[in-house]
Amino acid sequence: FLDLAPISNANQSNFYQTIEDFELAVNAAYATLYTFYGPTSAVSYFAEQLSDNATLYNVAGIQSDRWAFKDYNLKPSNTEVYRFWQECYKALYNVNIVLDKIGSAELNETYKTEVIAQMRFLRGLYYFNMVQMWGDIPLVSRPISVEESYATLRSPESEVHAFVVEDLAYAAANLPEPTAVTLAGKASKYAALTLLGKVYLALNQKDKAAESLLQVYGKFSLMPRYEALWGANVKNTAESIFEIQYQGGSPNLPFSRYWREYAPTENFVLTLYGGGMNQVTDDLYGEFEEGDPRREQTVSLGYTNKEGTFIPIKFQNKWVDKEAPAPSGEELSNNNFMVLRYADVLLMLSEATNDPRYLNEVRARVNLPLYGSDAYPSSQYNSLALAIEHERRVELALEFHRFFDLKRTDRAVAVVSKTKPIKNENQTVLPIPQIVIQQNPAITQNPAYQGL
Amino acid sequence: YSQERSLQGMVTNAKTKEPLPGVGIKTKDGTKSSVTDAEGRFRIVISPNTKSLIISSIGYETKEVPVQQQGLLRIELVEQEQSLDEVVVVGYGTQTKRAVTGAVASISHEKFQDRSFSNVAQSLAGQLAGVNISQSQGAPGQSPNIRIRGTSSITAGTNPLYVVDGMPIENFNLNNINPQDIESVEVLKDASSAAIYGSRGANGVVLVTTKLGKAGTTHVGFNYEYGIQKVSRRIDLMDAQQYIQYYVDAHNNGWINSGEGRSASDPNSVRTKPFQIPEDFTDPVKRAALGTGTDWQDVMFRTAPSHQAQLSVSGGTEKTQFLFSGNYLDQEAVLDQNYLKRLTLRSNIRQQVSDRFAVGLNLGVTGVYDRTEGTEGKSDVISLGLQSAPIFPVYNENGNLGFKDPNSTWYRFAQYTDLQLWHPYSLTRELHKQNKSFNTLGNAFAEYTILDGLKFKTSINANLLNTRYEMFWNKDQKYGYSSALPAQGNANSRFMLNWLSENTLNYDKQFNDHGLAVLLGYTVQKQRDEYQALSAGNFPNNLVPTLNAGTVNGGTSLAYEWAMISYLGRVNYNYKNRYFLSAVLRRDGSSRFGANNRFGYFPSVSAGWVISDEQFFESVKAINNLKLRASYGATGNNQIPNYGPIGLLGASNYVYGSELATGLMLTNIPNPDLRWERTNMLNLGVDVAFLQDRFRLSAEFYHSVTNDLLLNVPVPDITGFATQLTNVGKLRNRGFEVNINSRNIDRDFKWSTDFNLSLNRNKVLQLGPGNAPLLYTDYVVQVKTEVGQPISNFFGYIYDGVYKNQAEIEASPARGDGFTKPGDPKIRDVDGDGRITEADRTIIGNNQPDFIVGLNNSFSFKGIELSFLFQGSFGGEITNQLVRFNGIWNAGRNAFAKVSNYWKSESDPGDGWHFKPTVDPKGYQERFSSYWVEDATFVRLKNIRISYALPQRWVSKTPAKGIRIFANAENVYLWSKYTNYDPENTTYQSTSYSNIFSNAVPSATSTVSVPSGAFLGVDYGSYPLPRVITFGAKIDF
Repeated sequence: FLDLAPISNANQSNFYQTIEDFELAVNAAYATLYTFYGPTSAVSYFAEQLSDNATLYNVAGIQSDRWAFKDYNLKPSNTEVYRFWQECYKALYNVNIVLDKIGSAELNETYKTEVIAQMRFLRGLYYFNMVQMWGDIPLVSRPISVEESYATLRSPESEVHAFVVEDLAYAAANLPEPTAVTLAGKASKYAALTLLGKVYLALNQKDKAAESLLQVYGKFSLMPRYEALWGANVKNTAESIFEIQYQGGSPNLPFSRYWREYAPTENFVLTLYGGGMNQVTDDLYGEFEEGDPRREQTVSLGYTNKEGTFIPIKFQNKWVDKEAPAPSGEELSNNNFMVLRYADVLLMLSEATNDPRYLNEVRARVNLPLYGSDAYPSSQYNSLALAIEHERRVELALEFHRFFDLKRTDRAVAVVSKTKPIKNENQTVLPIPQIVIQQNPAITQNPAYQGL
Repeated sequence: YSQERSLQGMVTNAKTKEPLPGVGIKTKDGTKSSVTDAEGRFRIVISPNTKSLIISSIGYETKEVPVQQQGLLRIELVEQEQSLDEVVVVGYGTQTKRAVTGAVASISHEKFQDRSFSNVAQSLAGQLAGVNISQSQGAPGQSPNIRIRGTSSITAGTNPLYVVDGMPIENFNLNNINPQDIESVEVLKDASSAAIYGSRGANGVVLVTTKLGKAGTTHVGFNYEYGIQKVSRRIDLMDAQQYIQYYVDAHNNGWINSGEGRSASDPNSVRTKPFQIPEDFTDPVKRAALGTGTDWQDVMFRTAPSHQAQLSVSGGTEKTQFLFSGNYLDQEAVLDQNYLKRLTLRSNIRQQVSDRFAVGLNLGVTGVYDRTEGTEGKSDVISLGLQSAPIFPVYNENGNLGFKDPNSTWYRFAQYTDLQLWHPYSLTRELHKQNKSFNTLGNAFAEYTILDGLKFKTSINANLLNTRYEMFWNKDQKYGYSSALPAQGNANSRFMLNWLSENTLNYDKQFNDHGLAVLLGYTVQKQRDEYQALSAGNFPNNLVPTLNAGTVNGGTSLAYEWAMISYLGRVNYNYKNRYFLSAVLRRDGSSRFGANNRFGYFPSVSAGWVISDEQFFESVKAINNLKLRASYGATGNNQIPNYGPIGLLGASNYVYGSELATGLMLTNIPNPDLRWERTNMLNLGVDVAFLQDRFRLSAEFYHSVTNDLLLNVPVPDITGFATQLTNVGKLRNRGFEVNINSRNIDRDFKWSTDFNLSLNRNKVLQLGPGNAPLLYTDYVVQVKTEVGQPISNFFGYIYDGVYKNQAEIEASPARGDGFTKPGDPKIRDVDGDGRITEADRTIIGNNQPDFIVGLNNSFSFKGIELSFLFQGSFGGEITNQLVRFNGIWNAGRNAFAKVSNYWKSESDPGDGWHFKPTVDPKGYQERFSSYWVEDATFVRLKNIRISYALPQRWVSKTPAKGIRIFANAENVYLWSKYTNYDPENTTYQSTSYSNIFSNAVPSATSTVSVPSGAFLGVDYGSYPLPRVITFGAKIDF
């Protein structure tokens, strides 16, 4: 009589046993990509708002906490930073629990290995982003109890990096070839290798980076036209290596929010509401060379309001879904989001090998003068490093790369200070949220935010 | 039998000489009985050996009269002077006041008759010591927040347990019971009286007993009331011209601050978007044309009428007693389009089947139709109305509501995204809502007397509640709210069935000087809640509001259950009706508790001593009653989520390509050890009565410690969770209550005074791991619960006004911070390190009052009665969360009128308190500080009642037996410094995990990261408490 099981919820007591259970848990782990790479995620703020690509005008929520990113006015009490911290570790938990439970499950070893490889890919992806965003971070490699959590302090960046490399190496060795990936959106061997290459680049181990990336070289191809990469219904192209899958049209489906969140606020013609996130700076617009088709594909110059007045707020043009229904006031968009794509691999290869030929493959697609040719604007980009920096900025604009790239090349302060009030290197990591330190005073704060 | 004869008589009140109906007449041997009729007459058949009659009636001293041979027997009864013999309802029975050894506050229907509240709890405010009843929202029928003897929990529920005619119901809404059907309300405050309710008693127990007719003639009563309600205290907001200046200055200040060489005279063409100002505001002619604009409070609120009619029939014989009543209330609300209509029907019957066997049924049916908005603050209509810019008209030239109408000249403002008009009508008239609720509460019982003094009682009780809610939002809302929301509709329904089987055995016997009463019981209770919701969009137009006209795009149904099994026992013993001892034990098992802790024991003991009955006390003539009471016991709090101990899995789906893949993730940390909170309370009380009860005083002291607090402890987020529900922590409440009743003048003219005072001190003794404080944040408002402090301190910076000039900044901790300029907020350097950092945040207030008082004075003279009730609360603070919208610049929202005294320049520094507005605040403008916290002290003239009973010489010419006319005024006047409507306003309600009366969508999981009760005393824009004046007449037939 008193043993009442929940009626409207499954419960954990008999879960994590069968393959069906694990499929459900794996799907939930994949679903954490929606928050981790969402339009207002940590990665979005870090890569774009902190960089010279994006700015904010009016936004919803605690405006000052959002403006603090573009203004380099971050404090440990920033509520957005705390939200990021929560979202990141929540995502990790959902990955870790699968890894933890599958170890002891009595299931087919092949199945277990594949699940483990997928989860370790996700975990590597998450930790790699987190360690860049915060520096030293608590390294949680399995579900931990509350008591254990108090003893889990920040691990040095190097340890986190080593952990990431280990996860990704395992994933690369055990994930299937793309042809064997039966479900669109699941990680393949090459997703792991691409990411591993990126990690090695960040660690300044260019040989290892090249070694990983070269395994990916030729396995994918650039879409013939840059414009063909974008559109609400363009999904999983030959250029896409790891892509987050969305499906619009119904509130019961995992629809995407990039279109709505990146539309200017109160526009009333593009979307019912606009989130006003990642509005495009003039500086980014000016970075494109004349005649670069990527400029129009990347940036909208503004919109015409209901009265017929043109409102010149620049916003993105990559994730557009004007057909998305909005039955309850929110556009249910269909656009996917590419985390890793082949153009990124090519540009990283040039960075790792110092060989401009990969870079030139990217430029050739958009019919721009090749690096090394006379027509190349070498007065502006007078080294291969600067050429790569420029090319990455325009090729991958607003795709959550810019600030990570600048950080990797130690150029963040020099470049961003031209348009935003960044003062020093210490500001290239986020504060540890105040509440984290209040809960566990043994956690230390990053130097830029001590005593605020 | 031939020798039997009939005897007639008449009973009157010895003092007033009025006839007394319903008086019991019995022969001494108990073989024959009768009851007086409405004229006080009786007839009884007696045998020759009947020597005397026993005459008894509640409230009168029982009398034995010798039988006389002939003629009418005239008997006068004397009213009982001894208040000690009043009967009060306690858990699972009744007791005389004399025998009560715990802390029980009792309030009978006279104390709330004529009051106009549809919810009896509202009428009790200020009348009960130790019970803090605060009306957080003024909408019709809203339940107040009730806290009995402080707050005994931090994150579990804090609502008392309601017991209606014996049936315990959590989170019951007393609006479902017609107050005029209520005989009395008793509040069990201490552990010994509440321990009989075991794991549900820790927040106190409110017992509601409905009326039953008395033997005698049938009594028919009719009454009608007409009322008017009005918002008597407005929030003082800026008018259009003040608002325009504020807007212009905020933009200029932001622009000047945004870069070198920028000045207030720069035209829009050189400014970036966020700093542009409409030409209407800068051109003096156009600006003047905007006038003083619209006061949106005038638009929202109206003077609202109400009607109430009631018919009741009660009466009975020695064997059958009954009450039938019907009441209809039709109340408009002061808020546009809002209303409450309620029909209540009640049938209470008790039938003595034989000498040993009685059965009964109490049945109450209530139907409520209402539309209630404006109570959720923040984005609800009242708050949005207060935020709306005053420059806009109620209707534009097209008859539409908003400036976002592209065909209106007002559309010129639409390009300024920081102008706000959430037109109240767009929510009240373009949005259609209705709640319907049907509540049935019934209890059927059978009582069998097994032996003399030994009774078995069994009852089946049920509470069945059905609610329906419908909502339809017109397309575009005439451009009022968002201007672009598509037409959409929602419909949801809730169902709740709670049933209880209660079986008790009662033994009550007097052995010479020893009185013994034993109660044993076994009860089983179960509740099931169901929720269903549907939503639809794509309506082609606004013509058909039902969901069939649109495309259904969402739907869900949920169900929850809980169950309890309880064993209870109580022994009451007295010696010479002078020494009292009582012991209670209850054993509760609940499905809500973890598998490892399913059952709990809740014992208590108590004792009382009526000193004034002692021989040695007889010489003390002035004191006619002196009684000491002491009790100690344990109660529990089970108000935790239904499936709190269980790790629940929630949906989290992914899509691979176009293949939807359902996913499940753990939504909370399971805890099989989870159990009730346990409160141990000591209560000491004394009751004194002087001068034959002319002056009565009762005082109590209590000390309670709650252990095993059910804390939704914030845990490090690296666990993957923000909180975990655990039994840790300890807190203490102790307090003092005093109740004084005095009959100051007691002749033809009567004057009596009731006074009560309560104070409670609340202190947290222990929290989760490392005693880490609990911090909850809503927007920027932070409440902190830490060891050594009361629950939920407001936690932020201390605000010291504005920096008047640069020199002041240079001499302050703000120097060199890179953003503070003259006119900006001055924050106190609490830790004295010479800088303003987050370490300077400190305790800036707490909502719990230092003490609360109630004072009632009643006067009566020849049928006229007059009373005044004052209520006061002293020493608490309230956080005005509307400051977010109306106290600081917030994207063009209107502001409090006082804000226009902001700093404008060194030569025009304003009032020194309000900082200069800016659209781009870089400092502490938006941070939570004492700028947001206000004194919640208030004194309220809560109620005035005046009534007049028409003299009998007039009434006798009508078919009626009695006619009384009355006027009643509620919330007559408020003395308070608070900026918003009312210092009792709090947007957040007591925490409740199973409140199906709320319209909030129930969460499928048990993780509630922020318990709303932690934010009690935070006002995010609430519903004002209107002044209500009612006129009525009561006619008895």
